[in-house]
Amino acid sequence: MSSTVARADQHAHAHHPALQHHFDTMPQQKEAAVIGMWVFLLTEILFFGGLFLVYMVYRIWYFDAFAEASRSLSLFWGGLNTAVLIGSSLTMAMAVRGAQTNKRQATVNWLILTMILGTVFLGVKVIEYSDKFEHHHVPGPNFVWASEHAAPAAEGAEHAPAPEAAAGHRQLRLTPDQLQRTTQIYFSLYFTMTGLHALHMIIGLGLMSVITWMAWKGRFDEEYYTPVEMSGLYWHFVDIVWIFLFPLLYLVERHT
Amino acid sequence: MSDHVSPVSLYITIFASLMVLTAVTVGAAFVDLGQFNFLVAMLVAGFKASLVVWYFMHMKYQSHLTKLALAVGLFFLVILLGETMIDYSSKDFTPMPPKIDAESVINKP
Repeated sequence: MSSTVARADQHAHAHHPALQHHFDTMPQQKEAAVIGMWVFLLTEILFFGGLFLVYMVYRIWYFDAFAEASRSLSLFWGGLNTAVLIGSSLTMAMAVRGAQTNKRQATVNWLILTMILGTVFLGVKVIEYSDKFEHHHVPGPNFVWASEHAAPAAEGAEHAPAPEAAAGHRQLRLTPDQLQRTTQIYFSLYFTMTGLHALHMIIGLGLMSVITWMAWKGRFDEEYYTPVEMSGLYWHFVDIVWIFLFPLLYLVERHT
Repeated sequence: MSDHVSPVSLYITIFASLMVLTAVTVGAAFVDLGQFNFLVAMLVAGFKASLVVWYFMHMKYQSHLTKLALAVGLFFLVILLGETMIDYSSKDFTPMPPKIDAESVINKP
């Protein structure tokens, strides 16, 4: 067939060593990788979407408990981690740019900086988690929620006036016992969502270690840098998950 | 194609915008907007995510097929969240733990 002849003719020309035989051109190979990565990220979006759904249902049901529990999180550490992760997205974008412009040293440096920022994020997470253990805010038999704003536990107390609604806090409709149970749901979701997010970051750090080594070995140039860009897409996705987790977990109700 | 190389100034601008929007979302949480607190927080987060997808993840320079793949995925996310929320927010059904004496639970030895 004539196409066989054309194909043979193409192979007579030199092509990029990274071009796999089942692709005709580098751009075609690149687009296949990009769309494949995005399809994977979509499964990840729906995976986290299921958790967001559970969070939303319980937040509507037990809003008071979620607001109370959310206020116990440190806005300083949460805000710092948001800034650190956004910064690591910038350094990752710069690493991909370094690969695009065939700057080996710059790519390696930006990747290492991204890994450092990712490690800082996980370090802050360790501080926050140990704080939860100290305050008995880990769901389970040792969970204790000592609320100062709960409704009185007595019978028919929900109709009573709110004498202790001091300090600018509105009176909650939940009794201490109900808060003890429902705030545990918040912290279960907190640990599941941030834990899975942290797991994704650890995987991302592993990916980047390999990519940094490959970049150091000079495996990439301006025509072939797909692994760098795919790791970048993954890292930015993890950043996006945190962009939503931060207001959902730390900023439920801060104004009372 | 995604072989487009974005200028460094663009990345810096996006980074600065993301930081400003983070400050905005923290600030907005301290203002009592009633039901709109959540809406504002999600709109800001959605806009931040769009900036990351469009510029950092180079979606701006991808083919229509890749853009369509993302749109389809987000469509299913909207179905997942939207239709379930319509169900839950339109029904008066909130399972509550019973109101028992709290002291025995909280002040356990």
